[in-house]
Parts: sequence; structure tokens; C-alpha cells
Amino acid sequence: MNCTRRNFLIGGSTTLFLSGYFPKISFASMQKKNLIIISLRGGMDGLTAVPVIGDKRLKKLRKKLILEDVLNLNSDFGLHPKLEIFHKLWQKNQAAFVHATNIPYTGRSHFDGQNLMETGAHIPYKEKTGWLGRGLLASNIIGKGLAISLPMPLLLRGVPQNNNFFPSPDFVETKLIDQIYNEFKGEHNELIKSTLDTIRQRPLSMQIATDSDDRKKLALEAAKQLKDQSGPRVAVFDLDGFDTHAAQGGVDGAHADELEEVNKIVTILHENLGQAFDNTLILTLTEFGRTIKQNGGYGTEHGYGSAILMAGGLLKKSQVYTDWPGLKKKELFEGRDLNSTVDSRAVYNSAMSICFNQDPEFLRKEVFWGDQLPDLSQELFKI
Amino acid sequence: MSLNFYRRVAFGLSPNEKPDKDPLNWAINQLDTIPDLLWPGTIPTEKDLRKKYGEWVYGDREVLRKKFKNDKHAYRKAKDELRIKTGERYFELNEHAIRHFQTKYSKQPVLERFWLFWGNHFAISEKDFLAEFSTGPYQREIIRPNMVKTFEEMVQSVTTSWCMIHHLDNSESFGPNSKKGMEWGETINENHARELLELHTVSPNAGYTQEDVIQLAYIMTGWAHKWDRKNLETGDIWFDQEMHQKGDKIVLGVKYKNDAKRELAKVIHDLATHPICIKFVSTKLCRHFITDEPTDEMIKPVIEAWNKSNGNLIEIHKAVITQAYKYNENTHKFHPPEIWLMQLSRMFDLNIPLSFEKMNYTFKSKPNNRQRQLSWILREIGHSPYRAKQPNGWSDLEVDWVSPELLLRRFWFASVELPMLVKSGNRSHDFILTCLKNNFDDHENMASLIENFRFGISDYDLGQKYGVICNLPGVLKI
Repeated sequence: MNCTRRNFLIGGSTTLFLSGYFPKISFASMQKKNLIIISLRGGMDGLTAVPVIGDKRLKKLRKKLILEDVLNLNSDFGLHPKLEIFHKLWQKNQAAFVHATNIPYTGRSHFDGQNLMETGAHIPYKEKTGWLGRGLLASNIIGKGLAISLPMPLLLRGVPQNNNFFPSPDFVETKLIDQIYNEFKGEHNELIKSTLDTIRQRPLSMQIATDSDDRKKLALEAAKQLKDQSGPRVAVFDLDGFDTHAAQGGVDGAHADELEEVNKIVTILHENLGQAFDNTLILTLTEFGRTIKQNGGYGTEHGYGSAILMAGGLLKKSQVYTDWPGLKKKELFEGRDLNSTVDSRAVYNSAMSICFNQDPEFLRKEVFWGDQLPDLSQELFKI
Repeated sequence: MSLNFYRRVAFGLSPNEKPDKDPLNWAINQLDTIPDLLWPGTIPTEKDLRKKYGEWVYGDREVLRKKFKNDKHAYRKAKDELRIKTGERYFELNEHAIRHFQTKYSKQPVLERFWLFWGNHFAISEKDFLAEFSTGPYQREIIRPNMVKTFEEMVQSVTTSWCMIHHLDNSESFGPNSKKGMEWGETINENHARELLELHTVSPNAGYTQEDVIQLAYIMTGWAHKWDRKNLETGDIWFDQEMHQKGDKIVLGVKYKNDAKRELAKVIHDLATHPICIKFVSTKLCRHFITDEPTDEMIKPVIEAWNKSNGNLIEIHKAVITQAYKYNENTHKFHPPEIWLMQLSRMFDLNIPLSFEKMNYTFKSKPNNRQRQLSWILREIGHSPYRAKQPNGWSDLEVDWVSPELLLRRFWFASVELPMLVKSGNRSHDFILTCLKNNFDDHENMASLIENFRFGISDYDLGQKYGVICNLPGVLKI
């Protein structure tokens, strides 16, 4: 399907492209496709989640962090035992991994890194919107973003009327909002006003839900909304705690606890999306990987290359997609970190193109300033 | 001058305070001294609480985990008992009460706003049991007394405090060529060095490199907690020469000669007086009190005051307030949930925190719901002060605080919870009108919006009134 579209695009303007593209959208819109991003804040260690098997150097440098009983993926890579659901889905071609990948950021600061993983930019704090928000806007998908957190993540900013779900302990009467809505005047009140608009348009189940202590319930409600044909098309989960400078541990350490949380969310989504899981992509996002070598506290330092965990029926097949850079000293980034050979933004750009029925070239220009991001749709996803 | 100035730089006016004839002077005169904490209940020392921290982690890690290694349920039960015994679930509640009592009754509320600011600039994020035992006393004993000293002195105190060193793992950082580093094959942990540069002083604008981070981490090696079998990581901070990287170090182009524990003070001096640091922190101060995107014109006098006074915080604070006054009429600033709650509490004399007698704790049972109330509210409105997710603390930008749920939480608090916090003598409509008049120039318009409920004094009626009032644009922001 790409051939014609590509040819059509070359030399064509955006308007031309859009007019030629419309039939495709209406066809695809018959089946809503969901894109779910799980942010893993703190720096997820790709080598703990998807360890390379039998690398002597890794064993030597990480004496206290080596995993026993990894789940088997292929001859080169294993899977952390806490990521059971990914292993189960792997058997059905519904889980895959991109390895040795990261955003093009090598500064090793959480805050700069998290800012860039969400904006998709090169200079920290320069952009005020997220790549996912811009992708939705460019695709003209408005009011279809759902964040499962109390604040609205930067990742989703840039497109108006996103929703977030993290209900308060008691029911709140939204008629209060109607009473004061008109008091929000002037440009400086625009943000609050448009957020109040979103609240007023919420589906009933979100309005009456209470209690956010239960992660399970949140993921459950998200699945319910995503399953709905007219519901959100994008959901963002936020996890933190991956910054394991100390006591990172192996099978039961601090990193394992966090991976277990990822596993929990994906399990619930898988169970409750039902058929909709076939039209869903779940991808993780992190600011950087961690050093190869363990540090003084049996943890790891901020590094560079990490991995993306993927699940969903829109994956092409089970695979560890990587251009493996190796772990010899000279193969490491600055002699200490797993290198990144795949710009992770290429994965996200391709995923958006699949889920939003957009041309990846178009998104690359609209969302990532035309940065050189190869289209990986053919390799990774069902098209 | 608009009445909103009292909320811009403080917490609004309580029912028995009146606007001052000279608001700028009123504000500036509050900055020369540090008032005592007013909380009449227990105010434990940082050291006492660290001891409790030690009892808790030792008891759990060294005793219970071993004793009950084959019995999950017995372990859980014993652990809950230990929580009660060591106050693990109590001290944070008490700290919130101390903090809130201060912002509610202080005669120097402007200074209290700076206290909140600096506690967040040198944030301790949610890690291990710091929120439970340490962040509160750290803000009282490390941040607070330094607010009448220089910025440099504040950085020195913070950097060598137990709380920050534990927070950013400096006790796990060994100079690779130090005695212990060589013996144990250990190396540096860069975390604290990186945040000292990035968050506390010069910011990434200074253009430091990875090598600068490493070199600063070398300088910082040796600053660690003492460790022993009984207190584990909760020993005092000292300088352990056997962990310290030998040799000269170079940070941001400046050479620091091998000089053991004296290296740190020298590098902090250079960082805390660096022009980029001064601009970075001045900008943050203006952002907090004036507007999300302060202009160079707004920031300039603060930088000048900083330079002229060699970083004296009293002078810097006065310059910030002068600028806040100057731009009061034509700038807007959104207030995060905790400040919003503190303002409502002061303006409407709400029944929080709980009285100190009722906050008393016997270490024999779990804290009760009333004791947990304030902390629970803070968490539910999205702003539990000692539990920022990252070492950069809570955001000071409106966009980070406006989401459907975060706004709904404010409606929830004002309409459901707040009525239960109204004192029995303050339930009349007139009381609300008096408070509005005391704090808002457009109080008449505000009153008209709740006119329909003027005869109601039930919780429901109060919820309808406060639900509206507290979420008006002029209350959410100034």
C-alpha cells in the first residue's frame, strides 16, 4: 500500500497529499486503532528487561546484577522473568522488542532526558508540546488522548481537549463548573477553560468513577474507554522508579519491581481490550538506558541505549529488532553505555503512522521537523 | 494596589487581618529574620527522626526479614507493628501539620513563601523513607535557618546534609583511586554531582560536560553517612578520606588542587557565585512570584541585588518582592494545589491542621483518620509536598497543574471536603462575604455567584458556595 502513496507524495504539497489520502482514512476508520504509550521514568535498563544471553563481558561487569532463570526469546536474547505477559504474547506474535535504541540524547540527565523523550526534540525545554500531541494534531485526531495520571503529561500536549483519568475519592458535581465557566475570560484563562470543556464532555463512567489507589482499576477503565469505538485512540501511562542507582538487583531487585508494574498494566490491557487488542499497539518509552557496569551500590548509572517493549495485535511478528552494537569496550558509547543504533523516534513515528493511518513521511515532517527517521512500519508492524 | 498582592507573595489575609497602607513595606519588612515555628505540639529534631528511621529500617531489614523469611503473612503483621512502634506512618503527618500551621498563622507569611520555595528548589523527592522521617526536618533545620544567610551558605548546608546525601546516593560514591575504592573495586556514583550542577546551582545553561560531572563527583567522594551495624545508613555525615579520590580535579575549567575535604567548599563557592547560577536561580524566583515566563527586565534587578549583596538572601528576597509588587497589576500566576489550600485555610480560617493535642501520638496504634486528614487532602489534590517524583521538585508552571483530573480534584475538595473544615462559628453567609471583601477586589461579583445559596448553612450548601468560589479564575491564579 505504501508504494502508490509514496509516489504520490513525492513533490506533492500537503494539501494535495491530504486530498489524495482521504479515502484511505475513511476506510481505515472503520476499525479504530489504539496506540498506548507507557512512560518508564528514571531510565529503564534494556539489558535487565531484555538481557543478551551468554555475553561474558556483561557477566563480568555486572556480577551482582545477573539474572538467573531468564525467559527464553531466541538464541541471542532472553526476557526478564517478571515480564511474563510479553513472553506469553511472544508465542502469538503479539510481543516484540527493539533493542539498543534510544532518543538521540546522550546528556544523562533525567530531567533533560524526560523532557526530550516527550517532546522528541534535540534541545531540552525548547519545545512545549509532545510528539504524541503533535502527531494527533497533524492527523486531525482531536480530543482522543487519555492520560492515566493526575497531571497531563508533556507527551500529549500540543493537541487540545485531551482527557485524563485518575478519579477523586468522591463524586464531583460538574454543574459547579457550569456555574463559573463564563468567568474564565481572556487569553490567560484559555488553558483552564479548554480543560473545563474536556471535563464537561467526559463519558459518564469516567464521571462517576472514584478511587485511584488501585492501578488495576485505572488500567481497567482505560481498556474500557479504548475498546469503545468512539472512545480515546491514545492512552498514556506513567510509571517511575526506574532510576536504580542502588540495589538494582536481579530477578527480585528494584528494577524487577518496576518491570512487574509494566507487566501488570499490559496484562490488564490485554485481558480487557478483548478483540480491540488486535488493533492496538503498546510501546514503552524511557529517557535513557543504564551503564553496562554496576556501580558502588550494586545499581547502575545513567547511560544511553535502552530497549522498547512492544505488545499488541498490530505487531508484524515476535522479534527482537536490533542492529546490535556489541558490548566490547570500544563498541560501547563513550566506553560505558550500550550504544543506540536505532533512533527510537523512528519507532514511534512508524507506530503513529500505523495507528493514525498517516503517511510516515508526513508525520516525520509535521512532528519531528523532518529529522532523518527511517520508516520501520514494514519491519515492525502489520500494514 | 490590588488585594491580590497578599496572595501573590503570601497566603491572603485571615479574617482578623486588615490590608496594610503600604503593602510593599509590609511584605519587605518580613524578610530580615526567621520566626520560630509556631506549632505548639511536638517538633522532633532531625537527629531524633533519623534515629527512628534507623530503628525502622534496621528492624525491618535486619530482624523481621530474617525472622519471617518463610512466612509472608507473619512478616506483614510484624512489619505493621513495627510501623506503629517507630512512627513510620505518623511523622510525615506531624510535619505537614507543623508546616501548615506555620503558613496559616505566621506573622511573616511572605518569608514562609520563600521557605516553601527553597524547600522545593533543593527538593528531596520520594525515595526510601525520606518523606516519612527526613524531608520535613530537613526543610526545618537545613533550609529554614539559611534563609537569612547567603545562597552559597545554603548550598553548603544542603550539600552536606544527611537528607540530600542519602537522597542522591553520595554515600555510595567511591573515588576509584581512593583506599576503599581500590580495595573494594568500587567507583563513583554521579547522581549527587549531576544534580548539584543541574538543579541546585548552574543548570545545564552552563554547558558542563560529562567530564565536569565526573570531576565534581570525584571532589564529592568521601562525603558520606557513617555506617554501623545497628544504625545502618542513618549515621551522621562525615568526610571519609579513605573514600576520597586523590589528585587534582577540574570543574568548568577551574582547577581544584588535591585538598581532601576542603575541595568541596571551594567548588561550591565557585558554582554558587557563577553568573549563570545567579541568573538561573533569579529566574526561578521571579517565575515563582511573578509569572511563568518572566522577562529579562523583571529578572535584572534581582540579579543586581544578588551581585551587590554577594548573594545575601535577605537582599535577594527583597528584590524579588519589589519586582512582584511592580508587576502585580499586569501579570498572572497560577498557584499549585498546596499553596491554594494554604491560602483557603488562612483566608477562610479553616479547621486545619488538627489541634496539637489531637495530633499527639502514642506509638501504640495506627494514626487515626483525623490525624491523617491534612496529608490525605494534600495527596488527593495532587501535591503531597515531600513526595515530588523527581529531584527537580514540583513544577512551577501552570501547564503542569492543569489537567481535567487536577482541576476536578479542586472542585472535589472545595465542594465535598471543605465544608467539613468550616468552624462552627463561621458557617454564616456573612462570614464568607467578609472574607471575600478582605481578599478580593471583585468580591461583589463573587458574592453574586453564590447569592442563590445565601440562606444555606448545611454542608451541602457550603459545598455549593465554596465549590464555586474557590475555583474562580481569580482564586486559582492571581
